[in-house]
Amino acid sequence: MSMEKSQILDEVQAIFREVLDNEKIVLANETTADDIEEWDSLTHIQLIVAIEKHFKIRFTSREILSWQNVGKLIDSIAAK
Amino acid sequence: MIFNSLTFLLFFIAVFLIYWFPLKNTTRGQNIFLLLASYFFYGYADWKMLPLLIVATLIFYYLGKAIAGAKTEKQGYWFTFAGVALGVGTLLYFKYFNFFIESFASLFNAIGLHANLHTFNIIMPLGISFFTFRLLSYIIDIYRGKGQPTDDIIAFGTYVAFFPCILSGPIDRPTFIKQLQAKRDFDYDQAVDGCRQILWGLFKKLVVADTCAVYVYSAWKDVAHANGSTLALAAILYACQLYADFSGYTDMAIGLGKLLGLRVTENFKAPFLAYNIADFWRRWHISLTSWLTDYVFMPLNIKFRDLGKWGIALAAFINMMLVGLWHGANLTYLAFGAYHGILFCLLILIGKDRVPKHTTWYNRVIHIAITGILCVIGWVIFRAPDMPTASLYFKQLCSSSLFSVPAYHQGMLSLVSVISYPVLMLAAEAYVVYGEKHPKKNVFRVAWVRWIWYYVQVILIWLVLTHRSIDFIYFQF
Repeated sequence: MSMEKSQILDEVQAIFREVLDNEKIVLANETTADDIEEWDSLTHIQLIVAIEKHFKIRFTSREILSWQNVGKLIDSIAAK
Repeated sequence: MIFNSLTFLLFFIAVFLIYWFPLKNTTRGQNIFLLLASYFFYGYADWKMLPLLIVATLIFYYLGKAIAGAKTEKQGYWFTFAGVALGVGTLLYFKYFNFFIESFASLFNAIGLHANLHTFNIIMPLGISFFTFRLLSYIIDIYRGKGQPTDDIIAFGTYVAFFPCILSGPIDRPTFIKQLQAKRDFDYDQAVDGCRQILWGLFKKLVVADTCAVYVYSAWKDVAHANGSTLALAAILYACQLYADFSGYTDMAIGLGKLLGLRVTENFKAPFLAYNIADFWRRWHISLTSWLTDYVFMPLNIKFRDLGKWGIALAAFINMMLVGLWHGANLTYLAFGAYHGILFCLLILIGKDRVPKHTTWYNRVIHIAITGILCVIGWVIFRAPDMPTASLYFKQLCSSSLFSVPAYHQGMLSLVSVISYPVLMLAAEAYVVYGEKHPKKNVFRVAWVRWIWYYVQVILIWLVLTHRSIDFIYFQF
């Protein structure tokens, strides 16, 4: 993983910990919503809004709906 | 051909034997056979609707390829749009057309115009919403880049028409196609587990649901003259009936799948233990709610994301309205959806939609009881033939006769049995949840206890089999 992507992953992990209120969350590229109890359809959107705000970017609906794991999310952020 | 009939038993024995003996070593042969058996099963119920199922399967199979092979993103979008419009359009036509015509006619009459609109005698194909949802998720997943189109038209057709699930779900996702393509070996433990689940499903349907149905039916037959306590009991029993009926059917479908070496998705997770309404919808008819979450709630949620909590609440409300409407064209279903939508929104807006990880046992019990009462109220609206009857039901229920003895027509024993069967079912399922958390204390791990339990189920099923059989409630959806 490139330097930039690993830094993005760290920042996204901090956002996850804050939004989901769980300091123990550790993200990897392969992590999915099934791996994190608090990450469901209701908190998903809060995470997206927080990520958009933090990185000052805006995802398209199709981008958001195509993510299968954290790695794909990181790719989308890096491509912006 | 309902699961609890002799015809189905003979059909399934024949399927099972051919599937595991002559076709044991050929996955493709098994799939072709499963597809033919599924079409036979569907055609047996209503052969006139079989062409619709086959044509829809072919169209969506090629649409999937077209979406994946689209030269531009826009072209892919239009192919997907066409598929969604076709699927939703067919569903609207068969399920809702007469409702709209009738509503327009009464609207015209209300404003003084005499409308001479004819309703058509549209016969709704059985299980249409279940196979349409399977077709839609297939093409939408391809469009979203979450799935690949398959080249295996047999496996695809079997995924759409798989006979244990075509009439009442569960609604499997396209990943089921991968299961169909993998080689299946007969697994004794899995098959035994499937038989256990079928027995439990039969118990829920024949003993619990059909016994409750008699009491519920007689209470609803004459709401105006029933006393409050009878209606209160009938409301609770209807919730039990619906759960026993639908989850019993699902257990049988999952059990049949296991006997064929296939994992059918779960549909229920002890919904009577739900902590709040949001939790209830994560435990009730899971394959439908998760489908709507992925294909309706999430896209709406994304669109409304700048509205904060209000956006989530709005998306949840629309989603719940669709859950209501999905059951059919009737104002009571719409009211049922709106009722749950409002409760769901309130939870989101006050930030209480989650289930706390650590809480006291009495707080949990209070929450479960309140959620149970709220759900029972919702099911009264759902069960009512129309809104005036629903409001009459609540009016009668809240009268002073609520404190009298509930009506019983066939002696006190019938009242005791009608209450004890659902209690037995709920206690057994709650114990299973407990047993999973505390495996060492689980008495069902002791063989002789387990066997007594099977005998209890068989004897009770045998006892009630003298009664007439009642159709599964969820076939009509």
